[in-house]
Amino acid sequence: MTGGAWLCLLAPLGGTSLITLCGTRIPRVAAAWIATTSVFVAFGGAVWAFVSLRSQNGHRGEFTTAWTWLESGNFHAGLQLFVDPLSTVMMLIVSGVGGLIVLYSIGYMDGDDEERRYFAYISFFVFSMLLLVEGGNLLLLLAGWGLVGLSSYLLIGFWHERPSAVEAAKKAFVMNAFGDATMALAFFILIAHTHSLSFVSGFGVGLSPTAVNLVALGLLGGAAAKSAQIPLQTWLPDAMEGPTPVSALIHAATMVTAGVYLIARTHFIFEQARTVELIAAGTGALTLLVAGLIALVQVDIKRVIAYSTMSQIGYMFLGAGVGAYSSGMFHLMTHAFFKALLFMTAGLAIHALAGEQDIRNMRGLGRLMPFTKWCFLAGALALVGIPPFSGFFSKDSIVASTAALGTWYGWIFWVCGIAGAFLTGLYTFRLWFLVFPGEPSPFVREHHHKHHGREGAWTMLVPVGVLAVLATVGGWLQWSPQWHPFSDWLEPAARTLAVAAPTNTQEYYTSVATVLAGLAGIAVAWAIYSERKLAIPAAPFWRRTLEHKFWFDELYDAVFYKPTAAFAAALRREFEEPVVLQTGPDLGRTTLETGGFVRRIQTGLLRTYVLFLAAGAAGVVLAFLIAK
Amino acid sequence: MNASSLTSILIWLPIAGAILIWILPLSRYATGSLALLFSLAEVGFWIEQAARFDFTRSGLQMEERATWFGDLHVSYHVGVYGFSMWLVGLTVVAMAACTGYGFWVGRDRSRAYFGLMLLLTGATVGVFVAQDLLVFYAFFEAMLIPLYVLIGVWGGARRMEATIKFVIYTMAGSLLMLAAIIAYGLKSGTFDLVNGPTSASRWLFLGFMLAFVIKAPLFPFHGWLPDAYREAPPEVSAVLSGVIAKAGLYGMLRIAIAKFPDPTSFYRTAVLALAAAALVYGSLLAFRSTDFRGVVAYSSLAQSGLIALGLFAGTDLGFDGAVLQMVAHGLISTSLFLIAGAVERRTTTGEFRFLGGMARGRPALATLLMTLGVISLAVPGSASFAGEFLILAGVFQRAWWWSAIGAGAIVLAAMYMLRLISAVLHEARGSTVADEALDLRPGELALVVPLVAGLLFLSAWPAGISHHSFFGQSPAASVRSQFK
Repeated sequence: MTGGAWLCLLAPLGGTSLITLCGTRIPRVAAAWIATTSVFVAFGGAVWAFVSLRSQNGHRGEFTTAWTWLESGNFHAGLQLFVDPLSTVMMLIVSGVGGLIVLYSIGYMDGDDEERRYFAYISFFVFSMLLLVEGGNLLLLLAGWGLVGLSSYLLIGFWHERPSAVEAAKKAFVMNAFGDATMALAFFILIAHTHSLSFVSGFGVGLSPTAVNLVALGLLGGAAAKSAQIPLQTWLPDAMEGPTPVSALIHAATMVTAGVYLIARTHFIFEQARTVELIAAGTGALTLLVAGLIALVQVDIKRVIAYSTMSQIGYMFLGAGVGAYSSGMFHLMTHAFFKALLFMTAGLAIHALAGEQDIRNMRGLGRLMPFTKWCFLAGALALVGIPPFSGFFSKDSIVASTAALGTWYGWIFWVCGIAGAFLTGLYTFRLWFLVFPGEPSPFVREHHHKHHGREGAWTMLVPVGVLAVLATVGGWLQWSPQWHPFSDWLEPAARTLAVAAPTNTQEYYTSVATVLAGLAGIAVAWAIYSERKLAIPAAPFWRRTLEHKFWFDELYDAVFYKPTAAFAAALRREFEEPVVLQTGPDLGRTTLETGGFVRRIQTGLLRTYVLFLAAGAAGVVLAFLIAK
Repeated sequence: MNASSLTSILIWLPIAGAILIWILPLSRYATGSLALLFSLAEVGFWIEQAARFDFTRSGLQMEERATWFGDLHVSYHVGVYGFSMWLVGLTVVAMAACTGYGFWVGRDRSRAYFGLMLLLTGATVGVFVAQDLLVFYAFFEAMLIPLYVLIGVWGGARRMEATIKFVIYTMAGSLLMLAAIIAYGLKSGTFDLVNGPTSASRWLFLGFMLAFVIKAPLFPFHGWLPDAYREAPPEVSAVLSGVIAKAGLYGMLRIAIAKFPDPTSFYRTAVLALAAAALVYGSLLAFRSTDFRGVVAYSSLAQSGLIALGLFAGTDLGFDGAVLQMVAHGLISTSLFLIAGAVERRTTTGEFRFLGGMARGRPALATLLMTLGVISLAVPGSASFAGEFLILAGVFQRAWWWSAIGAGAIVLAAMYMLRLISAVLHEARGSTVADEALDLRPGELALVVPLVAGLLFLSAWPAGISHHSFFGQSPAASVRSQFK
């Protein structure tokens, strides 16, 4: 079991090292296959760990330590993995979906002259993500957490000659560094009180209420930054500057959902800080609405899907925040399938149109790309949550668990969830109606070209097909009232809170409501966009507000970045240069002037010198002795 | 070979090398080779020392003592503790890389140059192993003399100005330290650091601290730093920020904190405030610097502040983190300055407005600068992250706001380091970056790659240093007991 976990973790790192060390001595395609193989080997390791954990009685999990990573005083943190139901689920998702996306990249990145660097980065990402989910203590989790941020930075800025890509990469890194910092502060509190960051010691138990609330807030800060939840969401849409498979892998399927994993992993702490946990749920509810609204006015195909990702992670935060950890995790899994699928079909479209991403130019693409069209439709239906597609099963149980709370905020969450379903239907099918049905537009006719006589290379079509199947049937793993192997599996690691367990009635009426809301959204989208009457809502104020993404970027620029930069510049201008840097020369000048004056006592008589020397030294020594 | 003579060998071997080079009328190439040979032998002796060091034993190891002035109780007394051994290692490794760099770029007046580099190596090792205050002072001063000459002769256009500033600042600190040393020695009847008593004198503490905060430096005593780091030859800047600055921080640990426990508690908040100010101020100025070396220089100021935070936290985690961070930052800034030198050689400038786009077609340069940059901004999982984490967790136990300030500075570090990386490597090609500008050559790689490999090794096993610097389970207790 632990062997599988180590294999899973180290295979992608081996891939990265091999590609980096070989450099230009191997052909590009070899680098691509090294990366793909290493990630599929990792998937093999994950399956190994999963199967052996399943056969273990009670499957509660097992730690394995390679060596002590950091040690000081009575604090020590091992290079330690934790194989338990929660981490194996994440390992399977990360390496499985990851492997498919890396395979897809072979076709997508074909012809880029820095392919090797891309594949080194992407297997490094998979390694980092696996470190995050397998780490057996919070310190290693934070190490993985930071390294996924680094790989995200590297991959967003992959095309580093584009200034917009470099800016987006820096923005993503700095916002995530902010989240890392709040998490680190939370860890300092834990270390000060319990001397440990390991998952074993029933961590976080016995803290004072204030301390536990602060720890939970710090963790939530990290989770919100990584998962692009309000107020730390602004980096995600810009991150679409990276290659499309990166958007699929990092900014949809795996990394951005890490916040949900964190909440599930540290639920001991969040349950002691129930208020903070509900703040997490509220953050999710707010984000799912705001992101859904912004998605309505985006014209870049990837940005629409990016906002949809934010919105869906909002659902996961909502589920995990109210205490339905397994529902949140289940949605994480189905979302990984259908969102990766949507990004990859979008990638096929972008690829076939020579890099075009503006949906206003894409009308009628379905006629030329039927495979892409049907796969996209499967993903879209799963996203909206129409049965029997996977999203239906996972989204429903999250919304139902808010109903189970039975409190006023529970009902607000419920309404948000239903409204979010409507928005999801609307923005998803806006995209659908604008891009796929109808006669191909002149732009599409002119720019469309086939690769290898198909809609893409086989390395691109196979993963898309597999994910289309998974997006369709992946949800059948669990239908909460009757059939729940997924929740049962996770129960030892993250048991759903009793207050968040819905009754059958709540499940049924919530299902009906979300499906109806989703259908209503689709119907409205059809009414507005099927005839391409208008691509964007007309009300000017709201339209501008949405197009400016509720002015968050402008706000942060004015409140944080500009004052910091101005303060730093002022420090340099007003203090460093005139005061600090001048002190030396001033001292020097004074010294010279004094020297000129004192020169007069240079009499040439040795006895005078010795007298001065002795008197001076004695004086200083005396001063120290007297002053103590 | 007797283990205890290793310490003396580490001091005197490079000094003997320096004298040999000054005496022998060798060609430039032969001089460089000889100097490089000496510095590599030095690394070999250090490895031998580390291998023979007994981490399960407390107290001073590989000790040598010979009476110097018997009636004053001054003796040539040297030896190593765990933490000083790591700093000696940093010194010899960084000096070997920098000497190699000088050889690679072919410094003129080679006999003078390489002799001074070797002399600097020996003196710096002496600072880290001296166990007698007068010996310590002698090496502390001996370390400065080659630096003055190296900056003043081989530096950039404004080198004299930089040298004069450097001399004035360091002299001011050193003289007060000398007075403090004499007063301490007369009062306690010995200059020995191991057997000497602790002192409660606040004035003596301040006398020592002034020398150390100038050398480290901490805000606002860093007036010499920006010019010295910009005007010195790159390999000398590398030594200054990577190694020499650590001598100041080492002095705080070995003398100010260990010998003056009461004044340390009395001035703790004041020193922590200076350290935090250095951290924030350095980070902010690094963020606005317009050239490669300016960013690294101010980030060194910030890192000195961070390390001082760890030392004056006075907690287990703070001490261990500070030692780990001294070594990690030493390797980082040495390599960064050498890369700055490599960039300047190719483009004639370090100004960001003339640079950019160097990543294309230069994979080795891009990979190394990127790796160093992200380790330098303490990406979680790296050696410097481990050091910063321990320091901030340690100072948290003193008061939470120090860690909050530190965490804020970490975000700033991400901002200035990523700015440096993209200004050099990314976006449009800078006006001074010629297409023909080469990637790092094998000679340059041979200097920087070992340092980076060391950092990666420390990233995989930071406990290698953090748990092997002080004897016993509690570094704070070890400091309180004078490392006995």
